[in-house]
Amino acid sequence: MIDTALRHEFEAALGTDAVLTDPLQLRTYECDGLTGFREVPALVLLPRTTEEVAASVALCAKAELPFVARGAGTGLSGGAVPVAQGVVISLARMRQVLEFDAEDRRMVLQPGVTNAEISKLAAPHGLYYAPDPSSQVVCTIGGNVAENSGGAHCVKYGFTVHHVTALTVVLPDGSTVTLGGDAPETAGPDLRGLFIGSEGTLGIATEVTVRLLRTPQSVRTLVADFPTVEAAGDAVSGIMASGIVPAAVEMLDALAIEASEAAVHAGYSLDATAALVVELDGMEDECDEQFEKVVALCREKGTTKVRIARDAEERARIWKGRKAAFAAVGRISPDYFVQDGVVPRTRLSEALSRIAEMSRAEGLRVANVFHAGDGNLHPLVLFDEQAGEAERAEQLSSEIAEMCVELGGSLSGEHGIGLDKACSMPMMFGEVDLAFMQRLRRAFDPSGLANPGKVLPTPRLCGESPGRYRPHPLEAAGVIERW
Amino acid sequence: MADDSPGTLHETAPSTASAPSASRVRPTSLAETAAALEAAAQEQQSLLFAGAGTALQWGAPVSRTDLVVETTGLDRLVSHAPEDWTVSVEAGMPLAQLQQLLAPAGQWLPLDAPTEHAGATLGGLLAGGDAGPRRLKYGGLSDLVIGATLVMADGSVVRTGGDVIKNVAGYDLAKLMAGSLGAFGLVAQLNLRVHPLPESTATLALETADATQALVAARAVMRSPLEPVAVEWDGKQLLVRFHGTEDSTASRGQLGTELPELAGAGVLDAEGEHTAWVRTAALIAGEEGETVLRAGTHPAQLPALHAQLHALTEGTGVEATLVSGVAQGLHTAVLRGGDPEEHAACLTAWRETVQESGGSVTLRRRLKGVDAVADSWGPAPPTTPVLRALKRQFDPDERCAPGRFAPWF
Repeated sequence: MIDTALRHEFEAALGTDAVLTDPLQLRTYECDGLTGFREVPALVLLPRTTEEVAASVALCAKAELPFVARGAGTGLSGGAVPVAQGVVISLARMRQVLEFDAEDRRMVLQPGVTNAEISKLAAPHGLYYAPDPSSQVVCTIGGNVAENSGGAHCVKYGFTVHHVTALTVVLPDGSTVTLGGDAPETAGPDLRGLFIGSEGTLGIATEVTVRLLRTPQSVRTLVADFPTVEAAGDAVSGIMASGIVPAAVEMLDALAIEASEAAVHAGYSLDATAALVVELDGMEDECDEQFEKVVALCREKGTTKVRIARDAEERARIWKGRKAAFAAVGRISPDYFVQDGVVPRTRLSEALSRIAEMSRAEGLRVANVFHAGDGNLHPLVLFDEQAGEAERAEQLSSEIAEMCVELGGSLSGEHGIGLDKACSMPMMFGEVDLAFMQRLRRAFDPSGLANPGKVLPTPRLCGESPGRYRPHPLEAAGVIERW
Repeated sequence: MADDSPGTLHETAPSTASAPSASRVRPTSLAETAAALEAAAQEQQSLLFAGAGTALQWGAPVSRTDLVVETTGLDRLVSHAPEDWTVSVEAGMPLAQLQQLLAPAGQWLPLDAPTEHAGATLGGLLAGGDAGPRRLKYGGLSDLVIGATLVMADGSVVRTGGDVIKNVAGYDLAKLMAGSLGAFGLVAQLNLRVHPLPESTATLALETADATQALVAARAVMRSPLEPVAVEWDGKQLLVRFHGTEDSTASRGQLGTELPELAGAGVLDAEGEHTAWVRTAALIAGEEGETVLRAGTHPAQLPALHAQLHALTEGTGVEATLVSGVAQGLHTAVLRGGDPEEHAACLTAWRETVQESGGSVTLRRRLKGVDAVADSWGPAPPTTPVLRALKRQFDPDERCAPGRFAPWF
């Protein structure tokens, strides 16, 4: 419980304007991008500096109050959902760029700086920040660190973990440490790498050092239409087997195209069953040579139309169509769930056929828009809450994620486990695996105050029995064994 | 193309000199490994995990070893899915062997750790956090690990990550193994992301003994559109490497020589390129009788670190070489000649400078006798309480490589 005395302690540490207690204001923080989970916090704190975050966390530790860090609240796995009677530590006021070293290509940022702002600031120096989640205009670098965010260009450039060299972290006991350093190697275990993607459960990152890349000399982008999803899938296989490392390979199916066109008119063909967006970047001569190969490969695999972006503006429009597709689904359906699962890329066609079957069986439409290059699916399950379809839609969405694991993939490629999938973790990991993950968490947070209930299944959340043991798909395939 | 291997592998592991009286076990399956560690746990035996033995001297000397667990019997390919760009291997497989297995599919693991030439295994490379000059473009081994099977001190088999190249489910315990020097558990199997083999490679060389000039030239290349895969300076020569198509590497090399900051640089012929990178790898790997320090700092510190290293050795019997991944701020200082006291004095002073500027240093080799006069790690970093807490959780009886990180934990 937060009594008046404790509230005054928070106010003394942060200033009265940084401590929210008004029920209406608190409501603003009740959920993140996954709006199905809601919980109003007891208190919201708005620190401005590492020291203020440390003071906030130390007070939480002293009072044994659970706390949840929050960036822009765009997460799609319920990772920033408050804990009942707990504290939300919003990093929204920590928006300063602390250092920009264009010469050695790095920036030190407070966690509330948005992803897109980094590249915008770096652009005049011919530099950019590679990870580009679709929510990049609003999502923050602190949130990206928590989720190990990816984006459309992961297949070539990797994830947040590949682009963050150092973190200042406030640990759950209120102490402050630096993880990682200026160079990509530090002595001892890679604590920086452990922290990235830990979804706010190991502490709060208050300063983030990112490495910047030089803007590629040339970028070439095309949209290729295909008469079937399988043909588009074949084209992806052809590209990936050609020795080329594309910067991005994205796929949209007919329903996703319809939604995207209704919203942003990016010029995708409404009569295509599937469209591929392929982007190459690098040195101009090499890029051109490989781009011709990609065009030829698409033709070989039966593309019905290839649209090549003529300039940066057209490329931006193509990407706008792709990145707006999630939200655009709202144009063709009153409600929808965004799923995030991964399958081995060679099993994409199989996964898509199974999704189509499941969708037919359930009588709910599913739009697919996803990162085809790395097998990261984002099925959008469309439903009408008014018509009472929510529960069935949620069920279908979960079944799709579990099907991904069955095919040898993962429960999440980039949205995280959060609250949403914590109870599904036993699908992918055995008891011993989860027990050792829990040990890692305890090492950082012995009192269990940092974002409790997220990532790992708990009896309270998932029922006393975490479910019958089910073999890992690899185990079922005879590849691995268990004791 | 990108193979700088001298062509021979050491078939047998160098002896683990630190453990002459220890018993040894060489499991050939995950089940045997787990059973061996479980049995050792019952006996409360202290453990030393050894692959090819190329990094057993890294960090502080282990204080006690009852059982050496050799991983060289875990050397099978588990699966290779060329179209998914993934491979799964037992962790005792040498990197060089993996490269041979991947090559027919036109793929490779883009890792050029200098210890590869001495037969380094994948598990050992992860535990050592080792990487070569091409880390600039491709990252280190832990950046390429997509999943792992670990055997913990009590014999528990733990899986982390998965088999797909994109996955954020659960904590990534492989990161705890990266750079752990065997102090947190044994790496039994690794799932890795592989890359297509580049069609061609080219290297530019600029003769310069001036650290500032090397830094300025490296920055110019990084600012240019040439996208180098490695930029390495050994105190005499700056090497800049490019990967790409045949035409593209040729034109990159040419364009590189036209950068004003690289005036006087020339493109090496194939043999010259091979020789230059083999020499660099050998320098970084070091030799018996040398003291070798690996440091990570802000790249801009190169001139100061270089100057200090030479100031420290001037007038002593020690000859120092600094090899730097200039664009990344990774430095290997090699001390040879002189006596242990001189090595220790140089090591301690240089490490202090690096640590004061926020960098870190790992001692990889030492001249015999250095341990008696210098400690291996220097002052404990602020992360020490976290490292100790992790050690308590994963190896509560401190049986895995005890003393490896002394006096930190």
